[in-house]
Amino acid sequence: MTSIKISGVEKRFGDLLALSDINLEIKEGEFFTLLGPSGCGKTTLLRTIAGFYRQDKGDIWLGDELINDVPAYKRNTGMVFQNYAVFPHMTVFENVAYGLKVRKLPAKEIETKVAAALKSVHLSGYEARTPDKLSGGQQQRVGLARAMAIEPRVLLFDEPLSNLDAKLRVEMRDEIRAVQKALGITAVYVTHDQEEALVISDRIAVVNFGKIQQVGMPWDIYKDPVNLFVATFVGKINALDVRLGENLPGGMRKATAGSIVFAVPAAGTEGCVEAVLAFRPEDIVETTSDANANRLAGVLKATSFLGTVASMELDLLGQSIVIERHRPKKADIPAIGETVEFAIPTEACLIFDKKSGRRLDARGL
Amino acid sequence: MSLGKKKADIWSLITFAGFAIVVIFLIYPLFDVFRYSFVDKESGAASLSNWKEFFGRAYYMRAFGHSMFIALVTTFFSALLGIPLAFFTTRYKIRGSNLLNTLSVLALLSPTFIGAYSWITMMGRNGFLRNIFVSIGINLPQIYGPIGIILADSLQYYPFISLMLAGSLMTIDRSLEEASENLGARSFKTFFSVTIPLVLPSLTGGALIVFMMSLSNFGTPMIIGGNYLVLPTLAYNMFTSEVGESPGMASTVSIILMMCAAVVIVLQTWASSRRKYASMLVNRPIQKSLKGIKSFLAHLVCYFIVGFSTLPLGVIVFYSFRNTSGPVFKPGFGLDSYRQIFYDVGKTVINSFVYSFVAVILIAFVGTLIGFVIARKRNMAVRILDPLLMIPYIVPGTVLGIGFIVAFNRKPLYLAGTATIIILTYFIRRLPYSVRSAASILKQIDPALEEAGINLGSSPGRTFRTITLPLMKSGIISGAIMSWVTSMNELSASILLYVGKTMTMPIKVYLSVADGYFGTASAMSTILLVVTGVSMFIVTKYFNRGSDTFIAS
Repeated sequence: MTSIKISGVEKRFGDLLALSDINLEIKEGEFFTLLGPSGCGKTTLLRTIAGFYRQDKGDIWLGDELINDVPAYKRNTGMVFQNYAVFPHMTVFENVAYGLKVRKLPAKEIETKVAAALKSVHLSGYEARTPDKLSGGQQQRVGLARAMAIEPRVLLFDEPLSNLDAKLRVEMRDEIRAVQKALGITAVYVTHDQEEALVISDRIAVVNFGKIQQVGMPWDIYKDPVNLFVATFVGKINALDVRLGENLPGGMRKATAGSIVFAVPAAGTEGCVEAVLAFRPEDIVETTSDANANRLAGVLKATSFLGTVASMELDLLGQSIVIERHRPKKADIPAIGETVEFAIPTEACLIFDKKSGRRLDARGL
Repeated sequence: MSLGKKKADIWSLITFAGFAIVVIFLIYPLFDVFRYSFVDKESGAASLSNWKEFFGRAYYMRAFGHSMFIALVTTFFSALLGIPLAFFTTRYKIRGSNLLNTLSVLALLSPTFIGAYSWITMMGRNGFLRNIFVSIGINLPQIYGPIGIILADSLQYYPFISLMLAGSLMTIDRSLEEASENLGARSFKTFFSVTIPLVLPSLTGGALIVFMMSLSNFGTPMIIGGNYLVLPTLAYNMFTSEVGESPGMASTVSIILMMCAAVVIVLQTWASSRRKYASMLVNRPIQKSLKGIKSFLAHLVCYFIVGFSTLPLGVIVFYSFRNTSGPVFKPGFGLDSYRQIFYDVGKTVINSFVYSFVAVILIAFVGTLIGFVIARKRNMAVRILDPLLMIPYIVPGTVLGIGFIVAFNRKPLYLAGTATIIILTYFIRRLPYSVRSAASILKQIDPALEEAGINLGSSPGRTFRTITLPLMKSGIISGAIMSWVTSMNELSASILLYVGKTMTMPIKVYLSVADGYFGTASAMSTILLVVTGVSMFIVTKYFNRGSDTFIAS
């Protein structure tokens, strides 16, 4: 159990600034996720922690130890790779035992530890198999067992589930989470899958263009994004370009998108004209007692039924938006071409500065 | 990822050794060849006389024309044999197609001079096949000259085309052809607008290799060419003939030969660098079952092509068991010829095995280390070394042999008449293949595997030993076996460098044929064929390598 502290880390590859002024404190036993699109720098950061890259600036601590100049093979971090990286010329047992043999543990102890590691990933009895006889999911379990077996200070996951099919991905993600909690080990997890990140993490850092955009618990990241990138990358959202106009009574401000007129909370938007109004499909209501809520009507263009949710695409005077209805009844779903009335509650409106993408409306949760 | 400072020094040492090898055993001898081509035969002064003579005299220009003609026509016939074989065996169910594959590879890997020699026994002055035809009143022309060379070359080299083409036909994603049909194209249209364009790069690639091999082939034209000289035999004659020996002229011919080869290599690199369409192979193409007459015809074509190309090998094996008395075949069968080999020239057999073995160890060891440097350390020095190491691709054996004689017949490195010089020839001719193959094996090893080793606490050195090396092992060994085969069968350079005590089997075969001792030649050729066949068997059986190993090396 070790905390990780990253301070002022920068990494360049030629002209490309892969990591820019990264500051993070990851707590002991925390499941911490680096979330971002491909090429955002999240994997670079993970590999810098593992020691496969040396940062150009800044420091990395594991616990109290400054590890800047500790070579990768002495860092004692257990990494789980995207393409499993299970040694194809070794059996399952030999794979898991590899790190223990390097540490010159007695054979008896190696056996016990390998057995325990394999048990925790439900692979007992597979010791003698070779990797080519294993499915992708099983290979990744071997990768996980191998990383755990060395009792590393931290576990590092480099998109470990992205090569697995959807169902297995959900299963493995729950297992990884369970194993990590059982061991109480600090984990850094890299993924581009926002749903995976929300489900698995204690905290998430959203990364883009080599910069940390926001650090927070899944709830904060989803409900209270600090900028437009985080808002659009995590979850579905409707984003409309609006012009902010005069103040309205009740602390509201006029916002127009083409011929549609909205009322949005004025606090924080002072001085901004070009803005983006965003709201999540599931925050739409059919009726509300909120006097400031925006009551609108759109023409239904398409519907899709997803079991617990019916998603409807509406044409709102030329703007396309998506709204959702939960636990839909068949009778509730209008026919294509019908007009659908709905309301956007005030608290569902997120306002961003169009130019900087910065969130304008201050809001506590 | 860097492997740390201490290791980096070992890798720079290897890089340095690579440069030393290239400079001493390639650049130095080749520079001598270059220099000699500017030395006047009579006066010994620097002059352009050799070059003027080459381009001025019909005798030389004719050899140049012969070489081009032979290479072109051989390429044409190889395509004629290789293309249908590739299509039929990949697209239709042909019974025994694995056997066909194996036999054609055996024809490809067998020593070049065996095919030529065998055609002489069949269709030569006193060839049994020709005699049969003559006895029923058909007077076939003798095989000596261009017909013989083209016949032997085409039947040996067509597998380059059939195997490369089959390889890419097998890796076309079936969905592409299905998509074409789904979009409304007839299968005829699909074949010409989808299938052919997809396999065209491998077809041209294979054709250029055939051209190249035929151009630099020495053994076949030497044995069956008669007075029909091509560039390699011309260079050899200029260098060795007792009347009018002319190292300068031989050198000029060598350089012209190398320039032709270089052009072909450039074309080939260009052809193969054009888009390759290898896919992830989710949908392998289906092999259709043919019925009735169609099936019969497809089988007939395939078996005829392969049978025709293995016929010369079969004839040699058959002849090796005929009784002989000196140069004369007697009725009956026995092991006379083999007995004779072991009594008279046992040393030759031992030489071949020992030289090849030593060379292969060197090739595998040095090749792997340099291959590692090239695949994993892309610094400036390595970037220069990489193309230099490719020089042997364009140096025909004859040219290398001439360079070696000239360069190592004097201080500081006097090697003439030694076993070392023969071993070094094998070594340098095969080294680039070994480097290439080690580098490409390494490129297929996911760097994440090495990272996983490091991450689990293993030092870079230990990671190389416990992860990288074991993963390379089968590739290195199968590559080494291929080097073994080519070294055992090497003739064109060693024939210039041998002395009595360093004679090898291919040289002995050549000399026996020249002297008319067909029994000895057949028995010795059979031994070489068996070595080739067994090596091939080991590679396919124990290292699970497909036919592409044989063409890539």
